[in-house]
Amino acid sequence: MVNETELKSLIENILQDMVGKQEQQPEQVQEEVVAQATAEATTTASTTCTVASDACLPDITKVDVKTELLVDEPYDQEGYLQMKQKTPARIGVGRAGARFKTATSVRFRADHAAAQDAVFSYVDEDFVKKNGFTAVETMCANKDEYITRPDFGRQFSEEMKQEIKAACGTPQVQIVIGDGLSSAAVEANIEDILPAIKQGLQMHNINVDNVLFVKHCRVPAMDVIGEVTNSDVVCLLIGERPGLVTAESMSAYIAYKPTVDMPEARRTVISNIHSGGTTPVEAGAHIADLIKKMLDKKASGLDLK
Amino acid sequence: MRETILSVGIDIGTSTTQLIFSNITIENMASNFTVPRIVIVDKEVIYRSNIAFTPIIENNKIDQSLIQRFVEEEYRKAGIRKEDTQTGAVIITGETARKENAEEVLNALSGFAGEFVVATAGPDLESIIAAKGAGISEYSADNSATVVNLDIGGGTSNLAVLHRGEVIDTGCLDIGGRLIKVHRTNKTIEYISPKIQQMIEQKGWNIQVGQQATEALLQPVVDEMVQLLKQSVGVQEKSAFYETIITHKGLKDHKQITHISFTGGVADAFYHGAAGDVFIYGDIGIMLGQALAKSKLAELFTIVKPKETIRATVVGAGSHTTEISGSTIFYTDTIFPIKNIPVLKLTSAEEQIDESMIATAIKEKVTWFESEGDRQNIAVSLQGKKNAKFQEVQTIAAGIAKGMEESIQAGYPLIVIVENDMAKALGQALQSLVGKHHNIVCIDSIQVENGDYIDIGHPVAEGSVLPVVIKTLVFH
Repeated sequence: MVNETELKSLIENILQDMVGKQEQQPEQVQEEVVAQATAEATTTASTTCTVASDACLPDITKVDVKTELLVDEPYDQEGYLQMKQKTPARIGVGRAGARFKTATSVRFRADHAAAQDAVFSYVDEDFVKKNGFTAVETMCANKDEYITRPDFGRQFSEEMKQEIKAACGTPQVQIVIGDGLSSAAVEANIEDILPAIKQGLQMHNINVDNVLFVKHCRVPAMDVIGEVTNSDVVCLLIGERPGLVTAESMSAYIAYKPTVDMPEARRTVISNIHSGGTTPVEAGAHIADLIKKMLDKKASGLDLK
Repeated sequence: MRETILSVGIDIGTSTTQLIFSNITIENMASNFTVPRIVIVDKEVIYRSNIAFTPIIENNKIDQSLIQRFVEEEYRKAGIRKEDTQTGAVIITGETARKENAEEVLNALSGFAGEFVVATAGPDLESIIAAKGAGISEYSADNSATVVNLDIGGGTSNLAVLHRGEVIDTGCLDIGGRLIKVHRTNKTIEYISPKIQQMIEQKGWNIQVGQQATEALLQPVVDEMVQLLKQSVGVQEKSAFYETIITHKGLKDHKQITHISFTGGVADAFYHGAAGDVFIYGDIGIMLGQALAKSKLAELFTIVKPKETIRATVVGAGSHTTEISGSTIFYTDTIFPIKNIPVLKLTSAEEQIDESMIATAIKEKVTWFESEGDRQNIAVSLQGKKNAKFQEVQTIAAGIAKGMEESIQAGYPLIVIVENDMAKALGQALQSLVGKHHNIVCIDSIQVENGDYIDIGHPVAEGSVLPVVIKTLVFH
């Protein structure tokens, strides 16, 4: 039986052997190390079961499903792959008897798990601090309440409202970030979309300094913020309900002078912001122009057309 | 939202000059809840002109005034005013592109035909335009086929290979129906092109200008032309004369080709045959078409019937030259149309996320474009990065701004063409670097190569996209 320390020293030895092989990619090296370690471990303990606690399987979610064709002996491989390039749907997955292949069903479960994680996890507090956002939260006490009581997710306590007012004042444009149904979306996109929005607005001499971060946020929370700050335009960047294609999709909801209980038609939405959809930097540049247009026309949503 | 753009196409070929008008329809295909995605959804030819002979006068020149009269007359017949055309292209093709005043005529005509009617020339472009105009691009996409299209006109045969809708290779040979001209009534040989003359001499055939033309006399020449065309698509060993007959380059690789199609004037005789006088057009075009039909080419490949034959190039010029940019782009107004801008493209090796590397590469290449100390207006082109980070966009922008600083200081607009979807953010970054008052055009989803020229028209679709023509300007 190889124990953990033995395995560690094994890996260390192999790593030292590999110092000369600098041209290799780090992943490659790592793979080789694991492979060699496993091989050596197996030989030293050929009859017993080996637990390689530091080793890891390849991350199956890193495989781009758009380029992975699982059909055995396809009639037209190039045509199939071309078709797959056009959709993230799980086509061309082949089958094992009447069922999915292992790769397909495992990937499905992994993507589903990522979606659930995105909903039930929180945006890292350090992330909020590092970016200098003012952190506030709606009336929800926890995630369960957030999921089961959408009405709480659009309200703030009186103290919170005071805090928002104190932090923001009355800016012309208020940017708000909400965790929504995907904390992963916030962490994946904000650092690219926000500077793009700011840069675009600066060209029009509009500054956005105080950015709010709202925990347990539903879309209409922006209406309360609009009323509290009396801003001309409120732009809410919020994590979208995740699906099996991506858990990192974000939407921007933007409204001119939003008010509580206003018709939904007054919101302009830019959805599907993620690395595989509208990229965060392009979306940010587009949103900046959109905000400028709203300020000029004093309208948003369907009224803007 | 649907919008129609009126486009004109004019083809001045070796034997014929033609004109068409077409409607290009664009539409926003994205939902209301995402960024716009405006694409061309339909192209429809709405008017086809007569097919006129290209007027050539003494001294190897094109008769510009006759062509202008033809264009004017066709505009009148179609009931279209020049101001109505929003885009389009004039292409000068085949032997006509080698006439002394080709460039002059082309430029005059593009101005004459409309504000954003662009001037184009070059054998590769001609091959692509003809294949697209004939619908071969769609055919190869719909049938997952690799098709070679031979556009055989009066002076040249333009070859294009299309694989699943994409052009993968082009080539051009000096083979055409009008390289030997025959008097229409007394049937004497009036003209033999220099390269065909060379072929005749090498073969030791007794064929000269002034001789009475008969099918029997000219059959060996036509058969030799067919042999050369066979060589060009790789079904026959290349002869020594093949290199001579190539205009500038042949096809590189023929292994994949499964289908063949013919367009151009000669194609009609290929598909339909011809009865009666073979010299009715005063040339050997009909003989060439018939010889092709009898050749093995028809057996070795699957024959595709094109949507257009003699009109393929003009339809291509009118309907398939205008592209539209991506829908999230950046531009400052009032500088359109921008015409005949040469493209400076960075290689992928030069295109690192590194400010000084990009700047140095641009500065070095800019010198290629400086003709006699005259600083030209240049479009910088790069592939860009898929899903670039904000900081990466800033770095690329800084590199471009630095590389183009002299041109910026000289007051030229900064024109940037990027393949990946990042133009709006890149344009914004550039603007923040060079200042609000400098003109910038930054567009994406457009692919260009070194040696290309770009023309950019007035914004369409409520200003969200720009019509773009990517072209070459090659005169022999």
